[in-house]
Order: sequence, then structure tokens, then C-alpha cells
Amino acid sequence: MSSSTVTTVAGEGAAAAPSGRRPRAPRHFSKQSRSAPLWLVSPAGIVIIALIVAPILFLLFTSFTDFNSRTLFVGSFNFVGFQQYIDTFTSAQFWWSALLTIVFTAALVVGSLVIGVGVAELLARLGKVMRYVVTVVLIFAWAMPNVASAQVWNWLFEPGFGVINWMLTQLRIFGDVTNLAWSNNTFLGLFCIWMLIVWQAVPFIALTTYAAQTQFDPAYIEAARIDGASEPRIYFTLVLNYLRPTILLITVLSIIWDFNVFNQIWLVTQGGPNNTTATLGIWTYLMAFNTFKIGTGAAISIVTTVLLLIISGFYIRSLLRSGEEL
Amino acid sequence: MTTTAPTTATASIDRPTVVAPARRTRRRRRRPRVGTNIVAIVFSIVWIFPVYWMVNTAFKPRAEVMNPTPHFVPYQPTVQNFVVAITQSDFLRDLLNSLIVVIGALIISLALALFASAALSRFRFRGRRVIMIVILAVQMLPATALLIPQFLIFNDLGLLDSYFGLILAYVASVLPFSIWTLRGFFVTIPVEVEEAAMMDGASTWRTLRSVLFPLVVPGVISTSVFAFISAWNEYILAYTFMKDQTMYTLPIWLVSFSTPTTGTDYGGQMAASVLFALPVVIFFLVIQRHLVTGMSAGAVKG
Repeated sequence: MSSSTVTTVAGEGAAAAPSGRRPRAPRHFSKQSRSAPLWLVSPAGIVIIALIVAPILFLLFTSFTDFNSRTLFVGSFNFVGFQQYIDTFTSAQFWWSALLTIVFTAALVVGSLVIGVGVAELLARLGKVMRYVVTVVLIFAWAMPNVASAQVWNWLFEPGFGVINWMLTQLRIFGDVTNLAWSNNTFLGLFCIWMLIVWQAVPFIALTTYAAQTQFDPAYIEAARIDGASEPRIYFTLVLNYLRPTILLITVLSIIWDFNVFNQIWLVTQGGPNNTTATLGIWTYLMAFNTFKIGTGAAISIVTTVLLLIISGFYIRSLLRSGEEL
Repeated sequence: MTTTAPTTATASIDRPTVVAPARRTRRRRRRPRVGTNIVAIVFSIVWIFPVYWMVNTAFKPRAEVMNPTPHFVPYQPTVQNFVVAITQSDFLRDLLNSLIVVIGALIISLALALFASAALSRFRFRGRRVIMIVILAVQMLPATALLIPQFLIFNDLGLLDSYFGLILAYVASVLPFSIWTLRGFFVTIPVEVEEAAMMDGASTWRTLRSVLFPLVVPGVISTSVFAFISAWNEYILAYTFMKDQTMYTLPIWLVSFSTPTTGTDYGGQMAASVLFALPVVIFFLVIQRHLVTGMSAGAVKG
């Protein structure tokens, strides 16, 4: 917390300080520069409006039409009012995808946080050499582009020659699973993707949490030890409490990231078998670009966005509240 | 990108975790127990295994890759897979496509972000708060929310299958977090620096150009690295917008990698994965000291 707070304060000082000394031009850098922020911000502002804000409005517009593959060629479409939304909410696939997205996001967030925070504690307890080894391992997992790691996953879990199936067969618990096709089974496919995403998410969480943990004054721990507190007690009441703001922030970021996961699912199962591993993002994509029911895809996309806004609503609210400091 | 790639990017409100591990010399660490070390070793083996298996497979000849009993080291190591991946596929053409698009998007977004973040960190003006909130909020959008309308608009404008179209799409996903990250660097420069320049009679533009911009060069470099990585890794936008094979970027090349005669060639595919991941892994190792800072400022997640 320390350094960031300092920088924020310094930054606000930077913006606010001149206003104190120049009462005639409050809130401005100087008189002559009154137009400066305008020409500095407008290029980026125009690009953001043209490439992000306008497309979102267009998406909203599209969700009230019957845009489809014919529209792409001929350009004609009809307004259908709320029909796309009605179709969306009455389709069983939508409810399955929505439920799956929420449950899968929860599983990912919990899995990566528990392991990540655990690894941070591990790092804090290790000697110099082992800490370095674990850090390098984490950086490798973190650096792997998700497109590449999805290919590696497909190979690791390949039916026939994949090394994971071979190892499981050697265990002699599950019998001969050499030809087990993970991605052909809803649960196993999801589990496989879960491992992939958690594998890549843990490094960020572990290293960020560890960075915060090193700021914790060990004198408190020493004191608690002298008072006879057990090691788990020290960790859960002292250290975790200190880490709470960090963990809260990571949780919010993880929810947003995991809710929007696309590549890993697309590249491992493509939403199959029978769309049972299709989260909302995958289902939208299949609708819009495989069957070219673009209007329907747009409606699902809008619903997905609103759902994420509801889930992360408290984050947005705290954002607006801290808006003054931005 | 919004994918989780650049896409993926989401900024924090106030960067509470941006704290480099402090070196406390007086900190008395208890000697790690044997059990702790065993846990660390097991964890390291499990976590590095996929990377190790990728490299291991990449150096195996085909017969060894397709062996019912996997070899944990290549018995007959070969670089044949790399040679095939580079020479018998469209690697070089797609590498060029990737570089054009990624560097194009990088230059445009960084230039725009530099000016915008200077204004957002150094001036108070009407609409500033709204802009900051928009910048944060757009990073929460699901990938498909931008993908669908951009596809329709680019289709109308004839920008599908073109470098310029994909560059624009990448600018849209990289620009918000670039502004956010760079703003974090501007904010750390003390006001006195620019006050001194103003005292000496420098104009606003002169102050920016000669005083502030040189001071944020490290920020520009690290933001560029994050922006490069997210655009380099981006898959779904490129996959949707580039239907013409000659316009494929490297991620599409990697996913569609297979030799025409033999079907999926895992040795070749792992070699291709190594080639694709290599620049990113090198970047990460070089900037590892700054990773936590930059990342929690809202850059990339895999």
C-alpha cells in the first residue's frame, strides 16, 4: 500500500498544486495551457469513441435486428424489437451457458486464488535459492502465450500418445485410460481447461501477493510466536488479514478475467461436446460466426456484458466513489 | 486481447499492490524446514512440466513423438521439427504479418496514449473523470462485445483481410490500458520539475517535449512491452478478421499448424509453439523485476 498511496498523493499534488497559487485560473496548469488538455486528449478520445464506444452502440442496435449472413452480402435487415432477447431467454442453451459461466468462473477464481496465495506463503518461507527457482518456474508459466499453452495442453492430454493419460495408466487406479479423450467429455473437458487457466493464473497471483507479503513487518510475527501462537494461527489471523486489500483486488481482477476467458476454451474443446462446454463468450461466438445469426449473437453479448456489470457492480461503485482521486 | 489478452487487461483503481519486494537485511528468516523445500520442489516440477514437455517433444523425431511409452528425454535429439516448422510452412510470411500488425498498433497506441496520459495526469479539466471511468470500464468488456460490431463495420468498410483493419482492432484493445499504465508513470514525476521549466519561460508544449516526455521513457518502454505481448498473443480477432490465408498472423499459423501429408504433427506443433513463445518468454525474463508493478497496473494476463 505504502508506495502506491504516496504516488497517488504526489500525482494529485501535481494536478492540484498550481491551483492554489493561481487563483485566477483555478484547476489549470497555467493560463496559457487552458486548451492544452483538449488537444492532448482529443486524438486518443476520438479513437476510443470511433473504435470502442461507437461499436458498442452499434452492437446494441444490432441486437434489435435480424442481422444474419444474408445481411453481410445484401445489406438488408429488419427490426425485430426485443425478439432476439426473447429468443435468448427462452433458449435452454443460454441458461446452461450462463450457469456454466458463473460456476466455472467461481471454480477458476477459487482455484487460482487458493493456490496462488498458498504459493506466496511458500515463497516467503523458502531460502534464497529455492525461492529463485520457484520464481523462474512461475515466470515461465506466466509468459507462455495462451494460444501456445492450449496447443501444449492438447498434446499433453492427447488420446493415444498423450503423456498425462500414460501417467494415469501407470498409476493403475483408473485402469487403462490411454485412449481417453478428455475434450469429448463435458466434465473432463472443463477440468482440463480449468487446469490450463489456473496454471497460467497462479504466477500473477502468487508474485503479487508475495510482493505485498514482503512489506509485512516480521516483528509482528516474532511477537506472536513469543506469545505462543501456532504457525497456522499466525498465518490466518495476522498475515492474511494484512493481505486482505491485495487479495480483494486480485479477486476482482480474476473475476473479470475468468468471466471473459475465451481462447483456452475455444482451442481445447471449441465448446463441445454438444455445446456443453460453451460459456457465454463461446456461445456468442458460435451464434454470430458459425451460424451467422449475428443479431442473436449481439443480444447474447449485451446480456453477457450486463451480467458481468452486475457481478462486478461493487467494483464499479467503489470506482465511481474513488472517481475524485482518479 | 480484451481477451484476456490485451484484452484481458483491466486496471486497478489505485495500484495498491505495486510494491517491489523490499530487501530487509535485518529480517531474520527461520531456516526453511525440509518439508517446505519438498513442497517447493514438487510444485516446481508440476508447474514447469508443460513447458518442459513442449521443449522435450519439439526435439524428438516423429517416431519418438508417437511412442506408446513416452520418453522423458529425446533419445535421438533432432532439430528437424524446427527446420520443418520454419521452412515447410508459412512461418516467415505470417511472422511478417504479425510484425506489421503488432508494431503498427503499438506505434499508434503509444503515441496517442502518451499525449492522453500526460493530460490526464497533469491537468484538471472538465470530463477528465468521465474519460478515466470509460477507460477503466471498457477493459471489462467481453471479447465478443467488440468483436461483433467491429466485424460488421470493417466488413462494410472493406477492412477485413487488411493490415489496417486488424491494426485498428488492436489499437482499440491496447490503447485503454496503455493510457492507464503510462498515467501511472507520469504521476510519479514531481511537480517541481515542470514548475521549474515553466519558471524559465517554457511553453506548455516545450515543457512536455523537453522535460516530461524524456522522464517517462522508461514507462513508454515497459508499456510497449506489455502492449507488444498482448497484441502478439492475440488470437480471436485475427482469426475472425483474417480469412485470407496470406494474411494470417502467427497465432493462427500456430493453431492451424499441421503438415499437409501427415495430419497433426505434434513434434512440429511443439517446435512451432517454442518459436512462437520464445520472444515473449525472453521479454518476461528481461523485465521480470518490473513484472509485478506493470501487471498490477493492468496490463496482461495470459
